[in-house]
Amino acid sequence: MVLLHHKQQANGKIKFGGVHLKRNRFIIMLLVILSVVLAACTNNAGPAQVKDSPKPSTKVEEAPVTPTDAKEAPMLAKLVTAGTLPPLEERLPVQADVKIEEVVDEIGQYGGDWKMPWSGPGDKWGVGQPTEEALFRFNKTGDKVEPNVAKSYEVNADSTVFTIHLREGMKWSDGVPFTADDVLFYWEHMLTKETFGKKIYDAYYSVDPVTGDKALAEVKKVDAYTFTVTHKYPSVQFLERVAIDNKWFFAPAHFHKTILPEFVGDDKTLEITKQWGYEDPKVFLVETGYYFWLHSQIPTLRAWVAKTDPNSDQFIMERNPYFWKTDAEGKQLPYIDRIVATKIQDPSQKTLGTLAGDYNLLTFDSKEFTVLKENEKKGDYRIIPWTQPAWSSAGIQLNQTTEDPKLRKLFQDIRFREALSIGVNRVEISEIVSNGLAEPVQASVPEGVIGYQEGWSKQWADYNPERANQILDELGLSKRDKNNFRTYEDGSDLTLTVIESSTDSAAFLELLKKYYEDMGLKTNLKVVDQGTHFDMKYANQVPMTTENISVANVAFRPDTLVPLRVITPWFGHYGLYSSSGGKEGVKPEGDVALILEYWDKIKASKSVDEINQLSNEIVKLHQKNQWVIGYAGPTPVLIVASNNVRNIPTDAVWADEYRSLGQGHPSQFFIKQ
Amino acid sequence: MLQYILKRILLVIPVVLFISFIVFYIIQLPPGDYVSNYSAKMSAAGDVMTPVEMDEMRANLGLDRPIYEQYFVWMKKIVTKGDFGFSFNYNKPVTAVIKQYMGLTLVVSLVTMVFHYVVAIPIGIYTAVKQYTAGDYFFSGLSFIGMATPNFLLAIILMYLSYTWFGDPLLGLFSSEYVNAPWSMDKVLDLMKHMVIPVIVIGLASTADLIRIMRGQMLDELNKPNVVTARAKGLSEFKILFKYPTRAALNPIVSTFGWSLSSIFTGATITAIVLNLPLQGPVMYNALLGQDMYLAGSWLLFMALLTVLGTLISDILLAWLDPKIRTEFRGN
Repeated sequence: MVLLHHKQQANGKIKFGGVHLKRNRFIIMLLVILSVVLAACTNNAGPAQVKDSPKPSTKVEEAPVTPTDAKEAPMLAKLVTAGTLPPLEERLPVQADVKIEEVVDEIGQYGGDWKMPWSGPGDKWGVGQPTEEALFRFNKTGDKVEPNVAKSYEVNADSTVFTIHLREGMKWSDGVPFTADDVLFYWEHMLTKETFGKKIYDAYYSVDPVTGDKALAEVKKVDAYTFTVTHKYPSVQFLERVAIDNKWFFAPAHFHKTILPEFVGDDKTLEITKQWGYEDPKVFLVETGYYFWLHSQIPTLRAWVAKTDPNSDQFIMERNPYFWKTDAEGKQLPYIDRIVATKIQDPSQKTLGTLAGDYNLLTFDSKEFTVLKENEKKGDYRIIPWTQPAWSSAGIQLNQTTEDPKLRKLFQDIRFREALSIGVNRVEISEIVSNGLAEPVQASVPEGVIGYQEGWSKQWADYNPERANQILDELGLSKRDKNNFRTYEDGSDLTLTVIESSTDSAAFLELLKKYYEDMGLKTNLKVVDQGTHFDMKYANQVPMTTENISVANVAFRPDTLVPLRVITPWFGHYGLYSSSGGKEGVKPEGDVALILEYWDKIKASKSVDEINQLSNEIVKLHQKNQWVIGYAGPTPVLIVASNNVRNIPTDAVWADEYRSLGQGHPSQFFIKQ
Repeated sequence: MLQYILKRILLVIPVVLFISFIVFYIIQLPPGDYVSNYSAKMSAAGDVMTPVEMDEMRANLGLDRPIYEQYFVWMKKIVTKGDFGFSFNYNKPVTAVIKQYMGLTLVVSLVTMVFHYVVAIPIGIYTAVKQYTAGDYFFSGLSFIGMATPNFLLAIILMYLSYTWFGDPLLGLFSSEYVNAPWSMDKVLDLMKHMVIPVIVIGLASTADLIRIMRGQMLDELNKPNVVTARAKGLSEFKILFKYPTRAALNPIVSTFGWSLSSIFTGATITAIVLNLPLQGPVMYNALLGQDMYLAGSWLLFMALLTVLGTLISDILLAWLDPKIRTEFRGN
C-alpha cells in the first residue's frame, strides 16, 4: 500500500508537464492515503498492552446465577475445574486464621464489575485506597486500630515490645506463602535501605521523654508467622502510627529479590528497568516498591489485582484468587469480580457518566449534590453521605509568617482575625457556596470528631460589620486611600492577596472579596497552577489561601495543626523552622511554640490518656487563636452507588487516615442481580 | 522544480531546529517544574514529599541541570538514537506514548477531514451557483452559525441531546466493554457510533469556513471570460462548471491543505477533552500543564515539522493543480 502511494505521487510529479489534469486523481490520492493509514492503525490503535486482555462484557452475562452454597466465585470455580488453580481450601489460610469480614447488610452474591472513573495513573490513590489491605486498620469509630493482615498482637506493659502474629497459610496473589520473612525482608532490604523513595517512617522511631533522643526500632522474626517490633523507649501509638505512616509493613520478598540491586546487581536492575519501559532505576523502584498495586506483575495481598496497563484507557483489576478473607458463611471475598476504572479527561465527565449509568460506585464532593439528587431516580443510584472530619468547607488561612512584616503583624493580631471573621455573612456564603448544605459556622472540630469543643462553632460566627469596622479602626487602619480602601497608619497600601491553586472556590472567593472590600480591605485574587502554588508555599509567598483543615485525630497525623514542616498554609515558615532544626524559617513564638511543646510531649508520652489530653490542648489553642477562619461548616463526601450495589455503610467517616472508601471494606461490597 | 523542492527540504532543517529550541525554552518558562507539579498532586492525595525527596527526584530526572544542557542532551539523543526522551507522566518513552494515541487520532482526523471536504465543497458550489436563492440563504446562515459557535459548546449541546434522547452522552470513542477488547466488527461499529458527534463537532467550524471560501471563489470565477466563452460555444452547463470555475476555485483550498497536516496528527484538543476522546490533543495539553517537558517538547517539534512540511506539500500540490503557478516554476 505504501509503495502504491509513492507510485501515485511519482506519477503525479511526472505528469507535471503533461497536458491533462484529472480531477479524480486528487480524490484517488486522498483515498489511497486514507486506506494506508487505516491499514496502519488497525495494528496500533488498540491501547491494550496486556496479552490476555479480558473479553468484553459478555463475561458478566455468561456467569450463571450464583448458587447460594458456592464458596468461591464462578470464574475461579471454572479455573479450579480446569485444573489451572488449586482448590479453595488450599488457597485460603488455615481455617482458624481466615479473616472473617463482617458484611454490612447481607451476605452477597458473586459477580459484576465495580465501574469507576479515574483520571489516570496520576491518581494512584484513587484505586489505591479502596483496595488497600493494611497490617492494621482503623476500626469503625476511628479511635483504635484492629488487626487486618495481621491476625493478632500483644504489647508489653510499657509499650516497647509489640509481638505481631500473621495468618498461617495465607498467600500472595500468585500463590506464594506470605510469612514473617516478607515483613523482615521489607524492613531489612527495602524500608531501612530506603529503596522506594521514602525515608524510614516516624512511626518506627521512639523518643526518649527526657533527652528527646530518637531511636530506631528493631524488628525480629520469632517464627514463620510471628515477629516482634522492639522500641528503645515506650511507643504507645506505634500501631496507630504504622496504620497511617506505613499501612503495609510487608512486601513480596520473592518478587523484590528479582529486581532489587542488592540482589541482582545494579546492571541487572537497570536492564529490568528498561524492560519494564522505565528510564531510571530509582523511579522504577519507587513505582514497584511503593505504588505496586498499579502493576500486574507484582503479587499483592489485595482483594483485586491489576490486570492491564494503567496507562491504557481502561484500567482493570481482577479478583485475587488467593484473597484471605471470607464472609461469615465461609464464602471467599471479594464478591465483585473486577474493578474497571475508565479514564476521563475532565471532572464533569464523572458527573455525566454517573447520570448515564456508566459508573456504579464513586464519590463526589457536595458541590454536585443538587444535580446528583435531581437525577437520582433516572440514574438508578442512591447518594450516601459520609461525614468528614473537616473544620469547614469554605474558609481562609492567614499565613502567620507571611513575608511582608506589616502584613505579618496584622495577621498575627487576633483582633484582625476576629474582624475578618465577623465581617462576613456566613448564612449567605453557605446558601450560595454549598446550596445551604453547610452550617453557617466557624472553622472548628465538628461534633462527633475527636477534639470537639462545645461552643467553638459559634465563635465569631455572627455577622457584625459595624463591630468589624470598629476593630479595624482600632487596629490603626482608619486611613483611607482615594478608592476608599483602608491603608496602614503611614498611608502605605494594604492589600490582601489570596493565592489559589484552582478555580474550585471561585464562587466563595467572589463573595469573600465583596465582604472584605465592604470593610475597606482591598482584596486581590490570584490563581496559579498547582505546581506553582506548591513552590510558592515553600518560598513563603502565599499570604492567604482557601484550604480546609481536615483531621481525624491530631495525635495520629499532626500535619495540619502542628507546624512540623512546610505544608499547611496557616503556619507557613514556622514549619520550615521545625523541619530544619532551627536553621531556616521563622522561630515559633507564643501559642505556636506551645503547640510544638505539646507535640513533643505527645511523642514521648507513655499513656493514651495523656496523649488524648495533650491533643485536646493543641485543639484548644487553635480554638483560642482561630488561625484558620471558616465561613461555612463541613459538608459530607457523597458516595454515589447504583441501587444494585449493596453493603455500603451509611454511617462511616471519610478520612484519608481511614483510607477513604476503604473504611467501608470494599471486598464485601456486592452487586445484586 | 526538483531543485526547488530540494532547497526547500534543506531549509526545513534549520527552521525546525530553531523552532525546537524556542519551544524547549518556552516550556521551561513557567514557574515550577514537573517535580513540583507531581508533589502538589501527590500531596493532594495525602502523600507528602519532603524538599529533600523533591531535589532527589529532580536530580534523577536531570531537571537540576541548566536548560541549554538539557536541550543539548535531548537533541543529541534524537539525532543519534532517534530517542525523543521520556515522558514523566506516563513513565514511558515519548514515542510509545505518541504511538499509543496515533491510530485513533488519525482515524478521527481523517474521517473528519473527509467529512468536511465532502460537505463543504458541494455546498460551496451550490450556494455560489444559486446565489441569493432560499437555498443559498439557508446554507449561508447555517455556515455563519457554524463559524460562530465554539466547537466545545456544540459538543456539550450534542452530548446533552444524546443523553436526553438516548440516555447515553456517547462519551469517548468506545463503549466501556470494548475499550480493551481486541478489534472486531462490533468494536468497529461501536467506534463508528461514537464518532458521529466528534466528527460533526470537530468538522463543523472548518466546514463552515470552507463553504464561505468556496462560495466566494466560485462567485469570482463564474463570470470570467473563459466561462462565458465556454457557454457561448455551447458546452453543457455542468461541464462548464466543473471544468473551469470549480478547478480555479479549489486553489485556496489546496494551498491550505498542507497546513491541516499538523491538525491531522494532533486531533482537536478542547473538543477531545470535552468529549473524553483518547486523542493526541489532550495528551499534549496535559503534558504542557504538568510540565512533562520531553513529551510536550517532542510534540511541538513534530507539529513544527509537520507545518513546515505541510506548507511544502501545499506548494507542490498547487503547482500540480494550477498551470499558471507551474509555469512560474518552469520560468525559474
